Amino acid sequence: MLKPHLTRDSAEQYILGALAPEKAAALEAHTLECEPCAVLLQEEALLSEQLTEAASTFPQEERVIRPAAWHARRAVTGAAIAALAAAASLALVLLTGDKAPHPSLPDSLDSRPPMVAVDLDDGDSPTKTNVVACPDLATQDFCTRKAAERGLLVMNPGGTAEVPRYEAHTGLPEGALSARQPVSL
Amino acid sequence: MEASRGTDEESLSRKALAGDRGAWDALVARHHRRVVVSLLARGVRVDRAHELAQETWARLIQQQQRGLLTELRLPNLALTQAAFLAADDARRVRRESISGAVEELPERQHPVDPSVSAERRLLSEEQLSRAHAALAQVSPSARSVFLLACDGQELPHAEVAAKVGLSVQRVRQILCEVRKKLRTALEEETHA
Repeated sequence: MLKPHLTRDSAEQYILGALAPEKAAALEAHTLECEPCAVLLQEEALLSEQLTEAASTFPQEERVIRPAAWHARRAVTGAAIAALAAAASLALVLLTGDKAPHPSLPDSLDSRPPMVAVDLDDGDSPTKTNVVACPDLATQDFCTRKAAERGLLVMNPGGTAEVPRYEAHTGLPEGALSARQPVSL
Repeated sequence: MEASRGTDEESLSRKALAGDRGAWDALVARHHRRVVVSLLARGVRVDRAHELAQETWARLIQQQQRGLLTELRLPNLALTQAAFLAADDARRVRRESISGAVEELPERQHPVDPSVSAERRLLSEEQLSRAHAALAQVSPSARSVFLLACDGQELPHAEVAAKVGLSVQRVRQILCEVRKKLRTALEEETHA
């Protein structure tokens, strides 16, 4: 038994199919004569089987195969985008610096809650110009109040919110056209 | 990439089922090593592992020619056939040694108990999660290489290298590094 014993590396290379054919043949011949090396080869084969099991059961969402250069490109792209964004911000500040009285608060900033105009096909219903929706639950109360002040109807998607009374905001004196009780003319 | 690989495998399997010898050759070339490694993992001697792997393919082709194969899912079908042949081989060795005690045979020629081998080969849930955790810690590119090469579909290293844009040598180096990490993770669990 003059051939050298297997190392874990050589056994691994054999299992991976990375050995040249003549080296692989020599390794195989050695394991037929050397019990410890045969056991070493079996251990590597067993590990290979177990790793195949581990790889085939690895969570699918993690298994995004990308070229190796992807990650480097991604980092470079991220850095380039950040640099462009910084340059754009700087240019914006320099160009508008003398006009803006409050640089920290842009003119275009609108703090009003979102309102969505609702298109109603029904001819008897109010026209779309005086119906709004307040879909944002966080600002629904404010939205509803502001809509009521402007004499608009509020269409609530859930149908649970209070709809402001339209006649209460027509500008007529309170009670003049009360719906709660008869009005003497 | 995965889809084209799957389509290629399906196309080869369909042709092999239709009796295309070239398709069989391509499938054997692709999966033969996996079959040999699975037999080695069961404790079969390397020379016998090669013989059994050859016999595995011969049996499958024979079954196809007799019209007994309705579908061809590789490498699983070949691995199952090889495991059956290994168990049969073990029984034959035991029968032949009936005149003398099995213990008198050289250790490497002891019959392989398929059930024991199967238990040894399967990872426990805990080992599996430990392996997954170790795999999640390697770099994304190394993980991609490992998953492409070792997910059981037997993608050749040259194809893995082409897909990820690395050299074959670098792919093998990465595989060895990942194997080392996973081996450590599995051994830690075993010794715990």
